[in-house]
Amino acid sequence: MPTADASGGGLHIVVCAKQVLDPDGVNSFAFWGRLQVGGDGRSFDTGEMVPRIINAYDEQAVEAALRIRDARVDCRITVVTVGDEEAGAILKRCVAMGADDAVQIVDAAAGLGDGFRTARLLAGLIAELGDVDLVLCGRQGSDYDQGTVPAALAERLGAALVTMSAGVAVEGGTLRVVRVTPRGEEVVRATLPAVVSISNEIGTPRYPSSRRMMQARRQRPERREASDYEGAPGAVGVEVTRLMVPDVQGHCEIIEGGSAAEKAERLMAQLHERGLLGG
Amino acid sequence: MAEHVLVLVTAIEAGGPLRDADGEALGAAQALARERGCEVACALIGADVAAAATEAAERGAGLILTADAAGLAAFDGGRSVTIAAEAVGRAEARVVLIPRGPDVLELAPRLAARLDGASVVGATEVRTASDDVVAVAAVFGGAARAEYAFRAPGPHVIGLAPAVAEVPERRPGRSAPAVALAIPEADGRVRTIEAAPDVSGPRLEDAKLVVAGGRGLQDGENFALIRELAQALGGMPGASRAIVDDGWASFEQQVGLTGKIVTPDVYFAVGISGASQHMAGCANARCIVAVNTDPEAPIFTFADYGIVDDALDVLPALVRLARERGA
Repeated sequence: MPTADASGGGLHIVVCAKQVLDPDGVNSFAFWGRLQVGGDGRSFDTGEMVPRIINAYDEQAVEAALRIRDARVDCRITVVTVGDEEAGAILKRCVAMGADDAVQIVDAAAGLGDGFRTARLLAGLIAELGDVDLVLCGRQGSDYDQGTVPAALAERLGAALVTMSAGVAVEGGTLRVVRVTPRGEEVVRATLPAVVSISNEIGTPRYPSSRRMMQARRQRPERREASDYEGAPGAVGVEVTRLMVPDVQGHCEIIEGGSAAEKAERLMAQLHERGLLGG
Repeated sequence: MAEHVLVLVTAIEAGGPLRDADGEALGAAQALARERGCEVACALIGADVAAAATEAAERGAGLILTADAAGLAAFDGGRSVTIAAEAVGRAEARVVLIPRGPDVLELAPRLAARLDGASVVGATEVRTASDDVVAVAAVFGGAARAEYAFRAPGPHVIGLAPAVAEVPERRPGRSAPAVALAIPEADGRVRTIEAAPDVSGPRLEDAKLVVAGGRGLQDGENFALIRELAQALGGMPGASRAIVDDGWASFEQQVGLTGKIVTPDVYFAVGISGASQHMAGCANARCIVAVNTDPEAPIFTFADYGIVDDALDVLPALVRLARERGA
């Protein structure tokens, strides 16, 4: 496998990754009716019970970048994140997976849920890096599910945009991207520079070896401040003003009966009575 | 011209009518326009949009903006965004509503970013608060909802979830001034080289009844029971992502975040645990029926009716009853 050329020359890929509350943890809190909003009104009061992990779509984006390298494309992979002080923790995992460099932009306003602010900060960093050819992002964060960053970033960078990708290949200075659409897969060709958002069909992300984990632990991500790129520490696009947890969770009427056939019969009668079965 | 609340409809297929989602967006726009003391404009971007334009005017749009070209029958990335941006300018829109559809996730934030605005997608509620709009959307796959305020100087672009408003009544003969939008060259930076399969026939998204199966079917062959029940009830079969990955059902049948988003009157989730990725595709069904052996499966928190039993015992009984009803 060719090694990346850190002095440039090869393709420079930036992967944007985000730390999120583990959505499975949040969902199980919700399932047991224990999900509560914290004192600030816009975060969950789950304490240490729900771990903070890399957004799964972003992990797929890291994997997509590594597969470009696996295909013997000479490239350098830089993984970047915007978040609070702790958010940099996910970068070590990305480096252990195989990313060459890591940069964290520390942003005190990261909790506002403003993907437009995040896109501006990322665009500032990418402009500063100067030689970036390809930006890969997860299709959306599994927290707010807004999918703002890839689209807003492409607009700010003036780059081509391909969304919902299930596979990215670099072929002679252009990209061949398989996209997931509601009608099935389509294939597009895109010019560089480009922003590509990655869905979750890339394949299982590689598990870092313990040797790489040890190495990654020693590597400190480069650090930038949000103020390097953006004046005031506030929202520039949208702002989550409050989170609301549904009061009533579960209104399911369990259909009882002595046998499966009996339950089926009672269910059909209920649906029929409510006029839900047409005709 | 004065301010309008703009409804942005893209990818209208040749001669096609408005979809339910488009009508709902017109309904939501009317409510906002009343509060803002302005009218609704509707931009129609597609191939042969005349029928859709007539219908938009009859459903209350006071200004029609059209971009009509064969190449616009499918969403066309940068080009569609450029046309949409002109529509926003023509309508002097501060608030732009986009009906649900597969391209919202690209169109909404991209349009917003281009015009120095901001976007919220998947909005289940849009309302006026202190002279501005506020949007509410699900977070963590529906575990909670977030209320968003807009902080950008440019337009507020809002992608709508299903059923946010009623479709306004159609008044035949009502018309509105129409303006043709400029159609720029296609954005040559991204070209489709292999098109997605051309699926015609009934669409899962439009089905009034969906019977979906998951891993609880235990074996691929048992998906036949899902098809039989769907057919007997006049609905369509759907599938969880897990069994599409297993090859038991086809990708076109997948319901969820990466598949189809369905809004039937009745959704049967059979042997489906109810992961948030799946619920994102069916949570807006009028009535959800869950069949699962595990009484603690998350699906029962979303369901209206539940049967705790083996899908393979319940399905044949349901098929028999449905056929008796039909006969």
